Amino acid sequence: MSSPSWDEFAEIALKRLAVSGVEYGDIRIQDSLTESIQGEDRRIASIRDIRDIGFGIRVLYHGAWGFAASSILSLEEVPRVADLAVEIAKGSASIAAEKVRLAEEPVHRDRVVTPCRIDPFSVPLEKKTDLLLHTMEAVHRQAGIVRSSASLWARRDRKLFMSTEGSRLEFDLLAGQGDCTATALHDGRFASRSFNTPHLRKGYELIEDADLLREAPRVANQAVEKVHAPVVDAGRYDLILDPEHLSLTMHESCGHPSELDRALGYEANYAGTSFLTTDKQGTFRFGSPHVTLVADNTEPETLAATGYDDDGVACQQWDIVRDGIFIGYCTNREVAPTIGETRSRGSNRADGWNSVPIVRIANIGLAPGAATLDQLIGDVKRGIAIEGHGSYSIDQRRYNFQFGGDAFWLIEHGRRTHMLRDVIYHGITPEFWNSCDGVADRSFRRRYGFITCGKGQPGQSGWMTHAASPARFRQVAVIRGEGSG
Amino acid sequence: MSVLAAKPWPKMTSREEFRFLADLVLTRSSGDQTMVTLHDHHGGTTRFANNQVVQNVDTRRGTLTVTVAFGRRRGTASTTDFTAGSVQDALMRAERIARVSPDDPEYLPPPEPQPFAARETARPETMAAGPTRRLEYANEAIGQCRMENLVAAGIVSSSVASIGIAANNGLFACETRTDARFSLTVQAGEATGWNAAAHRSIDHLKIQERTLAAIQKAKRGREPRELPPGPYPVLLEPAAVAGLWAWVLWSLDAKSYEKGTSPFAGKFRQEMLDKRLTLANAPGHPDLLGVGFTSEGLPSEPSTWIDHGVLTQLAYDRFTAQAHGIQAIPTLEAPVLSIDGAACGTVLDLVKQVDRAILVTNFWYIRSVNPSDLTLTGMTRDGTFLVENGEIVAAIKNLRFHDSPLRVFRQIDAWTRPMEAVTAETGKMLAPALTLPRLHFSSATRF
Repeated sequence: MSSPSWDEFAEIALKRLAVSGVEYGDIRIQDSLTESIQGEDRRIASIRDIRDIGFGIRVLYHGAWGFAASSILSLEEVPRVADLAVEIAKGSASIAAEKVRLAEEPVHRDRVVTPCRIDPFSVPLEKKTDLLLHTMEAVHRQAGIVRSSASLWARRDRKLFMSTEGSRLEFDLLAGQGDCTATALHDGRFASRSFNTPHLRKGYELIEDADLLREAPRVANQAVEKVHAPVVDAGRYDLILDPEHLSLTMHESCGHPSELDRALGYEANYAGTSFLTTDKQGTFRFGSPHVTLVADNTEPETLAATGYDDDGVACQQWDIVRDGIFIGYCTNREVAPTIGETRSRGSNRADGWNSVPIVRIANIGLAPGAATLDQLIGDVKRGIAIEGHGSYSIDQRRYNFQFGGDAFWLIEHGRRTHMLRDVIYHGITPEFWNSCDGVADRSFRRRYGFITCGKGQPGQSGWMTHAASPARFRQVAVIRGEGSG
Repeated sequence: MSVLAAKPWPKMTSREEFRFLADLVLTRSSGDQTMVTLHDHHGGTTRFANNQVVQNVDTRRGTLTVTVAFGRRRGTASTTDFTAGSVQDALMRAERIARVSPDDPEYLPPPEPQPFAARETARPETMAAGPTRRLEYANEAIGQCRMENLVAAGIVSSSVASIGIAANNGLFACETRTDARFSLTVQAGEATGWNAAAHRSIDHLKIQERTLAAIQKAKRGREPRELPPGPYPVLLEPAAVAGLWAWVLWSLDAKSYEKGTSPFAGKFRQEMLDKRLTLANAPGHPDLLGVGFTSEGLPSEPSTWIDHGVLTQLAYDRFTAQAHGIQAIPTLEAPVLSIDGAACGTVLDLVKQVDRAILVTNFWYIRSVNPSDLTLTGMTRDGTFLVENGEIVAAIKNLRFHDSPLRVFRQIDAWTRPMEAVTAETGKMLAPALTLPRLHFSSATRF
């Protein structure tokens, strides 16, 4: 006898839920395949092929949640897990003071597939390992380099979502990324420089177009230049931040505080709350008029553009900050009604079949301005241009942040001069965004994504993409990234 | 919930079943060496916020991972499906990868079979706990906070895991591990207080005691003063000490040391910290999360890493260990940080000895700033106070530190005995509360 289809398993679960008295229920069945190739110091250190199959059932009973999941997809396990989810929800309901009320959402029946030119899982492994080995060799050709790394990552998620409301959504999603790093040693200290492709929902063409081999010598050269560079003098500088760097700045200082569950206290014990409390919506000046931050879960190739979220809500575009004013949150069906919104923004995502979906940062991006990069730099007397990611830390309400970067150049009298090292800048989020006085135009726009955004208990890894053009920030406090002695 | 309470947990993969699964792979593998690992996990978390349950989950996930090597060519594949066909498929995928992989000059065959210490890694009370017990504990914490007109957010979790490793050279080990956790943030208006526990036994979470401690912190945290950033003497509670030491532990990698890309370069066998300070691994300690064997199939044994301020041990991968003639590779999954000499009994006893210092309950979002000298940054969180003349005189707004544990732990003024310490971002260790003459704070926040 052949194994039942996913639809048949889902029907078994939903029928079980229908007679259990729950007001809402859904099931996600997922089969994820991850290929991870890690190179380190001119060798392939590991190749892993990870297959992760299972299902999770979520129910709402008398306004309280229950969730159960299992990696055993069988005729015995599916009803057992459905019953367990209901029983757990009954327990939650027994001490619930306020009932959860879900925002309305039309029933959807759809199939979402990531378009790609080259399926990453069809590319011969030898081709990938050759690329990484040659990339690391190219890094080591630069004198002064002591360590290297290079990696490729690809993931395919096949998923079926079905709900008691009648939605049926089928997904076949891809994502990929590649990178390389060079580490140089000089005078007892070391410094690294990296090249990262963005994480995007594309096929292997993402890697071929990025050309790690072309980037490797530049990365190695800049690692050596960086380790020899003078340490920054602490003080106030104008900053020109590149799109890759801004992706993290936006993520931490705008993305997380715009998650409504945080503002409502759901994450108070772990990820934290938010300075963007609900009384600020619509009136709070988050940034200067140059700052418009748009959430767009519909932009093709971006990580959060999955067609529908794990509430079964269609992906959307909306503004988080418009002309500097905070106006919108990332929401799900549970929290949207608490601020009087009739529909979820569709930002509820789980990191796998075994996780319950939670509010996640959308694909938040900085809207382009009108300047060229040369114009932004040209109007800086004493500043620093920062590229890439470095150290990052922010308080649990997202006010006080401190960021580093991957590479730094001193700007003097409108010209980028030489590299600096150990640059750290810090500030208070709204003060920082209010110091933005220019954003480059759309031709400079780049996208970078994250797949390791930590939130929730048990911890989950969120995926989202942040796009930006380079932007200028005036008179930001800079300190040295070394011990205070 | 009576139905749930009577139901047994799903049966976990037993030692015999793992041996059967392993044999299924090992007898069919065409590799020169083959290794199989098991991670079969079943657990749940009851999460609460705003004084009610917001998430209540129970998950079963088994993972079988197969590594095959032909010569020095290696491939790894895993599956969560334990049916014979899927296990066979995982083996074939690992073989396929290994056949086309380049030689790895650092590849080593699985460790030789050896005896592993039988440790008390599984506690029956945790194995028996389920959603009902977790909900009871959550309700206890919420109830205490409600009575005080305070707001609770936190988690109660419990889990059991079957962990196994087997190889075609006869290596075999399998043990059951349990884990129970409680953490609580109490909100008193803008002020917060926190406490947390992790233990093999759910009976040792001490819900009531920890809830009261978090409540006390939150109530004391109202109306915080603002202090300017700068260097201050500090009194760090065990969780704050553990937060800083987690980064010391993560930076002990021997390969980085050999390549010169370690903050400990030039410091091995040198006195680098206060000479009364010792860091050891104590896998048999009943309050730590020690194990019998590692994921590589190596035994976990007691060992000393920093001996009276002198770094005496590095964290070796097997290749680097072999290259340096290291026979037994020490592990550090059950760390104990201790300080010689007369210890204070409690944190409050430490407070009484302080003229002026900032008391830090916990740090948050600690990240590396400069890996060359291990400069770190992070925020104080959930209970930061000013101590003057032996008393806590005020709550203060949170501050950001910017300093290196390799500098600040060169001198310790006073300390307690090691106590249980667990944070949201690090594992569990035993660490003292202690006072340091100086920690540099670089900026302040608004609450």
